[in-house]
Amino acid sequence: MTVTIVNLKVNGVDQAFMARPGTTLLLALREQLGLTGAKRGCAQGACGSCTVLLDGAPVVSCLVPATTVDGADIATVEGLADGQQLSDVQQAFLDGFATQCGFCTPGMLMSAEALLARNPDPTADEVNEAISGNVCRCTGYAPIVSAILDAAERRRNRVEATH
Amino acid sequence: MLTEVHVPDDVAAAVRLLESGATPLGGGTSLMPLLNDYASPPTELVSLRRAGLAGIHLDGATVRIGAATTLGQVEHDPRLAILDPVVRSIASVPVRNLATVGGNLFAHQPHGDLAVALVALAARVTVVDGGTHELTVEEFVTDPRGLVTEVAFTQPADGSFKYLKAARRRFNSASIVTVAAVIGESAVRVALGGVGNQIIRAHAVEAALAGQPLTDETVPAAAEAGLSELAPVDDAYASAWYRTRVFPVHLRRALLGH
Repeated sequence: MTVTIVNLKVNGVDQAFMARPGTTLLLALREQLGLTGAKRGCAQGACGSCTVLLDGAPVVSCLVPATTVDGADIATVEGLADGQQLSDVQQAFLDGFATQCGFCTPGMLMSAEALLARNPDPTADEVNEAISGNVCRCTGYAPIVSAILDAAERRRNRVEATH
Repeated sequence: MLTEVHVPDDVAAAVRLLESGATPLGGGTSLMPLLNDYASPPTELVSLRRAGLAGIHLDGATVRIGAATTLGQVEHDPRLAILDPVVRSIASVPVRNLATVGGNLFAHQPHGDLAVALVALAARVTVVDGGTHELTVEEFVTDPRGLVTEVAFTQPADGSFKYLKAARRRFNSASIVTVAAVIGESAVRVALGGVGNQIIRAHAVEAALAGQPLTDETVPAAAEAGLSELAPVDDAYASAWYRTRVFPVHLRRALLGH
């Protein structure tokens, strides 16, 4: 069994850690880098609670052996806020009561961030598709979809205000 | 338990590792769930992520897609608009950004909807398995083995490709019935997913539709003819009985749009 040094840029910061063959990206983030935002839910790629952005694209990090993504750019929920200033999506989730137990929230936020980066003015149906891989057992989804639409509007309004 | 994960940077190195008994890893969306179980047997993997097998190339009407291209990359390539409804019917966004085109050919039914579409499109696959071979996707999926490097197909005439997947939910659910078809002036090809342990080429449906216009009479008659070729099974998504009942309805919806 080979232990490999893996280099990642995580939330803009260069990181290096030792990975065994069985170390998934999720395990490395949580146990070696101390970033416990992404959650281990099903470990099957089905629940989405481990969703992070891999080179900008949302992925289920529980299915990614860390050594296969050496050199990648990773974004996790810990990188969204700027100090005490929440991101648009985080603030919209807070304002819209779009979280209850919170276990799905980091994955939901990252899926939402990826959607809005690609599509600043999504329809509710496009939001549904974007979060179709993120399971929430508390909210019934409606407040989450509303919050993402709200975040999109806030972001568009801010962009317009700066022009 | 994973004992080793190799990340070769070319196909030759990947082939050498596979010949020594290692298991190929595409996106890992089928394989890693098995290996995340701590009771899994010792396994050595060869990741194809850096083997130079990703990429989408168009040359006239010929489309070539590298095996390690993700379903997400297919989804976001405007040149492959005909495959957009296909890939978006598969799993969810964070899974599609890992799952690969080559890996989909190994997915067990009722998964593997892209492979169903590729059978309908008469796609060909390049495989390294004791030498480099090219064969049809239709042949390959009956006994998938070896290292897939590429799939290729000819873009069908505008409007001739039909695809519809019936599932329990609109997003992120396995197939109950998947219909993929190319309705050409001279030839009709119909492939079905979800209605057997293998992808089914619906020869009886094709024969019934050959030379016929698609109408409210011809399509139900073709569906009736096609029932004998289905081999549906019960699973957690649907019963065999339900799949059989749904098939004529979804063939009609796929081909006629209503």
